[in-house]
Amino acid sequence: MKYLKTLSIVFIFAIGLQAQGISLTGYARNYMGVLLKGDHNYAIIQNTFNLNVEKTGDKIAFKVNPYMYQYPNMNPELGLREAYLDMYFSSVDVRVGKQQIIWGKADGVFITDIVSPKDLTEFLLRDFDEIRMGITSVKADYYIGDNTLEMVWIPTFTPTKFAPEGSIWRPAMPAFPVKPVIDRSREEVQPNLDNSEFFAKFSALTEYIDFEVMGGYAWDDDPTMHVVKHMDFSNPQHPVLTGITVYPEHHRLTIGGGSFSTTLGPIVLRGEGAYYQGKYFNTNDPRAKESVVKKDYLHYLLGIDYTLMDWHLSGQFIQQAILDYDDFIQNDQYSNMATFLATKDYLNETLNLSFFMYYDFNNEASLIRPKVTYDLADAFEILVGANIFTGTEGMFGQFHDNSMVYTKLKYSF
Amino acid sequence: MKYKLSLLALLTFAFVINAFAQDKLTGLQVMEKVYNRPTGNDMEATLIMTLINSNGDKRVREIKQFIRDFGKVEKKIMFFVKPADVRNTSFMNWSYDDPNKDDDQWIYLPALKKVKRISSDSKGDYFMGSDFTYDDLGDRKPTDDNHKILREEKLNGEDCYVIESTPKDPDYMYSKTVTWVVKGKWIGLKKEFYDEDGEYLKTLTIQKYDKIKGYWIITKTMMDNVQKNHKTIMELKDVKIDTGIPARMFTERMMKRGL
Repeated sequence: MKYLKTLSIVFIFAIGLQAQGISLTGYARNYMGVLLKGDHNYAIIQNTFNLNVEKTGDKIAFKVNPYMYQYPNMNPELGLREAYLDMYFSSVDVRVGKQQIIWGKADGVFITDIVSPKDLTEFLLRDFDEIRMGITSVKADYYIGDNTLEMVWIPTFTPTKFAPEGSIWRPAMPAFPVKPVIDRSREEVQPNLDNSEFFAKFSALTEYIDFEVMGGYAWDDDPTMHVVKHMDFSNPQHPVLTGITVYPEHHRLTIGGGSFSTTLGPIVLRGEGAYYQGKYFNTNDPRAKESVVKKDYLHYLLGIDYTLMDWHLSGQFIQQAILDYDDFIQNDQYSNMATFLATKDYLNETLNLSFFMYYDFNNEASLIRPKVTYDLADAFEILVGANIFTGTEGMFGQFHDNSMVYTKLKYSF
Repeated sequence: MKYKLSLLALLTFAFVINAFAQDKLTGLQVMEKVYNRPTGNDMEATLIMTLINSNGDKRVREIKQFIRDFGKVEKKIMFFVKPADVRNTSFMNWSYDDPNKDDDQWIYLPALKKVKRISSDSKGDYFMGSDFTYDDLGDRKPTDDNHKILREEKLNGEDCYVIESTPKDPDYMYSKTVTWVVKGKWIGLKKEFYDEDGEYLKTLTIQKYDKIKGYWIITKTMMDNVQKNHKTIMELKDVKIDTGIPARMFTERMMKRGL
């Protein structure tokens, strides 16, 4: 009832705003999915209402983006994806408030695109604007011709949002010899000035190449699992493991990187890379305190986009390399992944076929996403698709029981 | 005196030759006059495209566009207004005078919140599901085709050259086009397109053109694809010429900010 009241207030407020020349856009969507394995449980039944309230002027602008996810027999989930104010000066734009900040040239892969944390409530299956969480921040863009210097200050840290306990998208915990106790007392990063995050990016858009150079002093969005083993040494010859406590904890990360995009005739060539300093990895080294070790790593990508017989094709190869590696580290030294996209329009762009795939070479696992989208009328879209997980291990393989087919109906206004 | 008369005769002869040469333009010269027809230094307009399928169902796309000629490069930026699901998408094109240099193109997708560079190689792609390809919208350079004047005839009361254009690239999507060009105004009043197999594909007709600030501006066209039984009507509204659109309009900043 409380949610209905809130929603009613939003509606009444919105109608009043429209009268003031404020633009109201958004969509209503129904999304239903069923698992292919087992008893064909529903993977999702969701109704979504998304509203963009905006006003743009020459000197100032604002946007508020409330959304609501409604699930059967549950309280609706209400939130603000973005809520910001813009100030435009002659060569500087300043945006203050909750906002999504997207960097880099990669598609579907997060290398320098680490300013906005991710919402992985449904793993990577949501639309990208729903995966990137808005963060309250101050962003200033200084423009020099076709070059831009962007500075971002994020006063409080927001971590990755994982699927809740009980969800089919909850990531698998590593195997422990005894059931661990999760102690979240070290997980929170206190909201104070010292704990804020800073990012800077210089970007250029030229007739030959587009490029970005970025740096960040941030927090690792994903917590490191510090493992404390409790041993019974009453018999020193045979110590016994009596329990394990896992402390999720976020650590500081320093990142430097860049990306580029250029055309070589019919091909668009894209690249992106970043050096991460101070990442904590889990290790089996018995000497390591709390089973973690601090290492630097590189994460980079090369991709091409090409059109063949009206099919728009795109491929990316991604590698992550841990520097100063030792064999105790639980992650592989090199993690290799690829993405492939093929998409084609038919019937005057009212029908679209699309095939997207992530492939994890280390675990021989993949996520395959075919879909067909048909525009029944302007701004009314019917989508039928599937998410197929192959393999058994790793980022994708862990969800091998979650392969699903789904439909989405969406009306934009 | 004799010398003066000879000079006069020579000048007269040169004038006649020149006039004769002007009268007997080549097909390429005619098409270059169409391509280079002055349309002002900059233009702002609302483009409304109505797509009509074989059942008569209509879909409407609305775009706000800005174009400015910077000398060696012409820059264009388009902001998509309708339908609602593509609102705030923007597209920018930099087209160079150098015939050896491809256009640079970028698209901003609000769902991805980033500007993506795209290849301009696919000029045969259809624009927003319409019956117009990017080339049909005026991006194709006259030097990409061989042109010959087939005949001269009247169309809609206007004296026209009828020009047949065949692509230099044998793999191009059209085997030939035939254009009716209005003499003096250098407007392609009608154009027939033939597919790769030489079959009649579609016809472009100019339904309205206006003189705005002294320039002939085409304000309403229709492309009728007879093979697909699909039509697109393209209309320019609120046309403003030479208002001094600032250079900063054609930047990544504006692509992201939108209208």
